[in-house]
Amino acid sequence: MTTTTPQAVLAPARAKSAADSAPARRKQGLQHGGWFVAPFLVLFALFVIWPLLRGIYLSFTDANISGDGAGFIGLDNYREALHDQLMWDALGHSAYFTLLVVPCITVLAFLLAMLAHHIERAQWLWRLCFFIPFLLPSTVAGNLWQWLFNPGSGMVNHVFGLDTPWLTDKSYAMLAVVLTTLWWTVGFSFLLYLAALQGIPAHLYEAAKLDGANAWHRMVHITLPLLRNITGLVIALQILASLQVFDQAVVMQDFGPGPEGATRTFVQYTLEEGFTSYRVGYASAISIIFFVIIAAVALARMWLLRNREEGGR
Amino acid sequence: MTVDAAQTRIKSRTRTPWTPSQIVLTLIGVAVSAVFLAPLAWALFTSLKSETEAVEVPTHWLPEDWTGQAWKALFETGNITNWFVNSLVVSVCVTAVVLLVSALAGYGFARTEFRGKAFLMGVVMAGLMVSPAVLGVPLFTTVQQMGMVDTYWGMILPQCAPAAMVYILYKFFQSIPKELEEAAYIDGAGRWRVFFTIIVPLSRPSLSAVGIFTFIASWNNFLWPYMVTNNPDLMTMPNGIATVMNSYGIQWAQLMAGGLMAGLPLIIVFVFFQRQIVSGVAHTGLAGQ
Amino acid sequence: MGRPGLNRRQLITGLGGAAVAGSFGFAALGSGADALASSAATRVRYWNLFSGGDGYNMIAMLDVFRKEHPDIDVKDSTLQWGSPFYTKLAMAAAGNRAPDLGVMHLGRVTGFSPGRLLDSWDVGLLAKYGVKEADFNPALWKRAVIDGKLYALPLDIHVQLCFYRKDVLGRAGLLGDDGRIVPVTSPDEWFDVLRKAKKATKKGLQTIGMWASDQNFQWWFFVAFYTQLGGTWFDAANSDVTFDTDKATQVLEFMRRHITDGYSDPGFAGGAGAEQFVNGSPFCWEGNWSVPVFSGAKVEYGATPLPPVFGKPATHAESHAFVLPHQSGRGGDTNEGAHRLAAYVVRHAQQWAAGGHIPAYTPTLSTAAYQQLSPQNEYASAMDHQATEPKVWFAGSTGILAQRVGPIVVSSTLGSAKPEAAARGMKGMLTELLASKNPMDGRTAAQAGAAA
Repeated sequence: MTTTTPQAVLAPARAKSAADSAPARRKQGLQHGGWFVAPFLVLFALFVIWPLLRGIYLSFTDANISGDGAGFIGLDNYREALHDQLMWDALGHSAYFTLLVVPCITVLAFLLAMLAHHIERAQWLWRLCFFIPFLLPSTVAGNLWQWLFNPGSGMVNHVFGLDTPWLTDKSYAMLAVVLTTLWWTVGFSFLLYLAALQGIPAHLYEAAKLDGANAWHRMVHITLPLLRNITGLVIALQILASLQVFDQAVVMQDFGPGPEGATRTFVQYTLEEGFTSYRVGYASAISIIFFVIIAAVALARMWLLRNREEGGR
Repeated sequence: MTVDAAQTRIKSRTRTPWTPSQIVLTLIGVAVSAVFLAPLAWALFTSLKSETEAVEVPTHWLPEDWTGQAWKALFETGNITNWFVNSLVVSVCVTAVVLLVSALAGYGFARTEFRGKAFLMGVVMAGLMVSPAVLGVPLFTTVQQMGMVDTYWGMILPQCAPAAMVYILYKFFQSIPKELEEAAYIDGAGRWRVFFTIIVPLSRPSLSAVGIFTFIASWNNFLWPYMVTNNPDLMTMPNGIATVMNSYGIQWAQLMAGGLMAGLPLIIVFVFFQRQIVSGVAHTGLAGQ
Repeated sequence: MGRPGLNRRQLITGLGGAAVAGSFGFAALGSGADALASSAATRVRYWNLFSGGDGYNMIAMLDVFRKEHPDIDVKDSTLQWGSPFYTKLAMAAAGNRAPDLGVMHLGRVTGFSPGRLLDSWDVGLLAKYGVKEADFNPALWKRAVIDGKLYALPLDIHVQLCFYRKDVLGRAGLLGDDGRIVPVTSPDEWFDVLRKAKKATKKGLQTIGMWASDQNFQWWFFVAFYTQLGGTWFDAANSDVTFDTDKATQVLEFMRRHITDGYSDPGFAGGAGAEQFVNGSPFCWEGNWSVPVFSGAKVEYGATPLPPVFGKPATHAESHAFVLPHQSGRGGDTNEGAHRLAAYVVRHAQQWAAGGHIPAYTPTLSTAAYQQLSPQNEYASAMDHQATEPKVWFAGSTGILAQRVGPIVVSSTLGSAKPEAAARGMKGMLTELLASKNPMDGRTAAQAGAAA
């Protein structure tokens, strides 16, 4: 999606296990513990915690890109953001992208994994073919599909006999980004599903076979329930990554916002405000708003997981 | 599940005869694979056309005149080799630092005690929600303050604090039986020696999973290098290809050649280390379950 | 796949260790591979936004400069044109890692915080290398001076043009005795020309490419036609919006009609318009920088300023200018090298004119060599009829003004907004922008105007 950074890829999982299931108290070597985590914490403080705090501070100022002369202006930035149509549009575009990508990728990844799992020959070949696009940098995938969607000499319209203005019409531009993203990233979710499928013990199927269950029943009653957790994971990862979409969209539109601004995503808008309009303070304010949205999604997932656990799985 | 079990299961099954359902499934598999590979083939063929042939209407798959001009021009205009070296330097450094730092931290959180551990672990978990995409502007001003805009370190260090990797290794270290360590303590070994001589060798699969995943993510990372590098000499492949165009405008043949250059190293590595990479990606991903 | 043997594993470990050590060493050195390879005494890092034909000419001029000045190593870098270029230049200057020499659009200089993100030129040093004020159009030079200091050294003026294919127009009977397109003075005449040209056009090609989905081009075309109607933007003090929605509606309806009457195909709305032109489409509106592209494609074509359909001729014009991005330690050989390089390129603009631009260095204009260039000689008159954006901090090529107002023009041209509504929207946006403060100094356009 926008990034393959670990932060985006890994959902915040159950933090409570950290405290609850901590190993039994130890008698020796306790004083070294802090040193093990120190290097990481230094980097973490410098490049995660500090920027977050700094972002919060900047969001109350009118700082510009040159870094000097910032004045405290209270909640003005947030007040402005509430009435900023461009920000809401950008948020809408990112949400629209997410709504399209997440279900498509989940279903497609599942189908591909079922296919690869059930073909008995040349397993490596299917894995290779479905996963290869994920190994390309986002910008390469974007350039490639910009070329494929090219109206005159592009392959998409040529092969399907279409006349679609993929990149220049506001109702298609985001769709083009979605199709690019599906091709590019479905391989990752596919691998997760494949690993999960291969982890289902064969004896479950054999027992069901003896009971006379046909292939369809086996899928509905064994495979799907056992894939519930992995589906939750895939959906959560995709939502978090899709909301942060940026790379493909800007590359496919030559770093512009697309026809009538149709592909301007939230990330792109924060960068425009910060680095094109030089309004670092305002950009920080909308970044914080975005952070709150992302955190809300992540916390919602944690809450769902916890509820399910308490309900007994 | 273990990967090895899956592997042997696959191997034992490849002897089965061609049943009608297998033939149908295989045909579908071939068709879907073709759809996935077609864009790459199109990129390859485009890169072997002349620039004028590339934009000809109506378009055609195979070049009428096969030419390597795009590839030649790509290397002659110079920057691509720089970017390749830069990508390599950044990805190798990021991977090395991440492996070291997150293994230590994962172990520290899993097996040692210190004041404020639970609180710090909570903070790290919260850090999972912060990425350059979310807080890019403040992160940039921070790095700017440190004077690291347009340096390798400016690109490398902010990629070196992945809470996710700490969490994965933390989970893994928790699953190692304590008895293995205790025997060593009785022999008088200290914490650090136990970590390096017992824990690290045991966790090679997990560490290589984290390393592989970090390398792929770093090699392909665009947003942060894009924000922090202005000097084209220092750009990585994805960034350079997207922003610094060669001075002759969008030339599709060259752009496709450059894209293949950027993607090829990982694809080649993947072909050779498929098993490790697949289990690495699946492992890191599944750890979030 | 075989299981890695012990030897292979050792090999990989060894190679891996070497790679890690090498990478850290490299990172510690802190400069790119290219910097390590350079041996010349003075290294001038020069960022530009020239691609296409411009890039070709710039590189040729740099190569000549390099040959004549072997002691100066010019490291030129082309960045993607548009907002990213300015973002990167601003960020580099703010992070104190700016290149020694840069190129900007003149309209952007006012908003680019001269004095903070830009350093001023040493006029004496420029004179030493043969460039002085008297060699420039006075109005142009004045645009580059802020608070009494020269912040930009103009290289050219570039304009939006109407390119036409002589072969197609010849078949349609639209060429005059001089082999040029018949004059057009009203919207009706213009659409009559398009109708005739369409009949002579091959199937599958549109009649005119006009970048209908591109906010920058659409904005530039709007500025041109709006200026033809005598429209204005703000009052002299930059405190009131004088934008005329009736005139704007007229312009937007004119632009929209190209699509509704079927002359411009929204499917080829972007850069594909130029590909269509090369393949035989009779017209396209493009910047003059497409001259070398079309010449290189061996197209039989001509180029005029955008048709004066509203009476007064006017076409959108901007200017490329050299700037010195801010460096806290600017000076010495590198700074002098930057002055020398810029002066050289400005004075040797004959080659630059081949890229379609009109040189800012006036001695070039009067040479016979320049006057023989075709189609440059057909649109040189555009110099006298420039339509420019208002002189405010948010204006300038691909600046905030184009970014905010451009999409409104596009929405009207593509038909998702009615022209009257779009014109009202533009006025609202102009009002909003005029009231907004320049983030660099916290002043509105009116306050900045009063202070200057």
